[in-house]
Amino acid sequence: MRGWLTTHANACGRAVRRLLAQPTVTLLSVFVIGIAITLPLGLYVAFANVNAAAGRVSTEPNINVYLALNASEQETRDLERRLKSLGGVDRVAFISRESALQEMKRVANLAELLGSLEVNPLPHAFAIQPTAVDAATLEALRKEITTLPKVESLTMDFEWAQKLKRFATFAERIVLLLGLLLATAVVFVTGNTIRLQILTQKDEIEVSQLIGATRRFIRRPFLYFGAFQGLLAGLVAVLTVMAFVWWAGVEVRALTASYGGDFSLRAPTLNQSLGVVAFSGLLGWLGAFLSVWMYLRRVSGR
Amino acid sequence: MIAFSNTVKRYPNGFEALKGVSFSIERGEIVAVTGHSGAGKSTLLRLAAGIELASQGSVLVNSQNVSQLKEAGLAVMRRNLGLVFQDHKLLFDRNVFDNVALPLSIAGFSHLESGKRVRAALDKVGLLNREKAAPITLSGGEQQRLCIARAIVNRPAILIADEPTGNLDQAYAETIFDLFRSFNQVGVTVLLATHDESGLERLNCRRISLERGNVTA
Repeated sequence: MRGWLTTHANACGRAVRRLLAQPTVTLLSVFVIGIAITLPLGLYVAFANVNAAAGRVSTEPNINVYLALNASEQETRDLERRLKSLGGVDRVAFISRESALQEMKRVANLAELLGSLEVNPLPHAFAIQPTAVDAATLEALRKEITTLPKVESLTMDFEWAQKLKRFATFAERIVLLLGLLLATAVVFVTGNTIRLQILTQKDEIEVSQLIGATRRFIRRPFLYFGAFQGLLAGLVAVLTVMAFVWWAGVEVRALTASYGGDFSLRAPTLNQSLGVVAFSGLLGWLGAFLSVWMYLRRVSGR
Repeated sequence: MIAFSNTVKRYPNGFEALKGVSFSIERGEIVAVTGHSGAGKSTLLRLAAGIELASQGSVLVNSQNVSQLKEAGLAVMRRNLGLVFQDHKLLFDRNVFDNVALPLSIAGFSHLESGKRVRAALDKVGLLNREKAAPITLSGGEQQRLCIARAIVNRPAILIADEPTGNLDQAYAETIFDLFRSFNQVGVTVLLATHDESGLERLNCRRISLERGNVTA
């Protein structure tokens, strides 16, 4: 166990010394890999923020039916009964013209303007929750409701929200694909860096094998080297994205505040950041492993 | 301790460097393999060290068939051998101390134990005062002694040396042969390839003569 720890400590120390021996090359490699990780991480953060914004909007189908202003109480109750009896309707909620006015005053900050009106201009309304979500069924329902007495107008404003949801799903897949491609690129970049390291250590590898080093022993410092390089690159990526979120977040907060909102950009969480750094380290390790494995396979006669 | 049995080494181009060689070396023996250039001396030593594999027959080292050892087993076997190369195979980006410490680093020795053993090995070959020196600043004889120090630092039971005095003048060569004799006197089995007649007389040991891949004496 002590011998095992000593060999790991030695390999770790050699990897650190190799990283420090050529600081410019190390920095360049770390930044190249860091940028490759920043792209999918940045897109993921952007996607998560769009998703958070979209999450505030209901994407469930909802039909709003507005009644004629002259609809009596009896006519309103009759219409409610007929709406509830329609096929494809799950729930019907009545919104009185008075409560609609109160809500409008509250949400739109139009209390002063609306208060100055002598009569309430808003009609009674029904909010209908249909059971179906497909366009054809909803269109048939819309036509049927339009023919009912005292129905003045009708809106179905969920389509854009559904489009936003589809766009978010599409964006998620693009981020995943880009992430996979760039993760592969990270493995190749690390592999290439390690290949250059191997070329400078060729004599040492040959002598070490002749005097009893196993492939594992030879591989170990390179694996630490690749993993350290990956960890540093992951750290660069996380810090870059956090800096961008901080920089752009100030403007986004100001913009949403001007529309009466309180949305702000979310940076990666601590767990996500640690996950990215660890994953990046793993990619570096994998690149190093493949590079050394291929080299030893090529030079070994056995 | 070392046994060759009808050992053939055939290269992919069809050339047979060894043509059915058989002999054995007992524990504590010192044996010199002699012969002209191209007789198969280096090939024989490389087979004994597991650097190359026999095409036919067997090579046993410590009762283990070298051809049947897997990579890890072969590495363990080599750690118990001391190998001295004709071209030294030193690492010129490391100093004398670090070159000798390499086998101990592979074997997982602590820095403290490693330091003690390295200095003891350097003392034996007379290089203790050069431990910080770069190998490139050493003379040919000193480089060969450095290679020997690296070979003995693990306290191997078997020392295999390929033309250890090949590029050295007579005075240096005698020092090297005296070193091998001293190792043998403390129980180390020595197998060396050489065509240095005066050195062989100095060693006064058993000889295995090779000629075109065959043992002639």
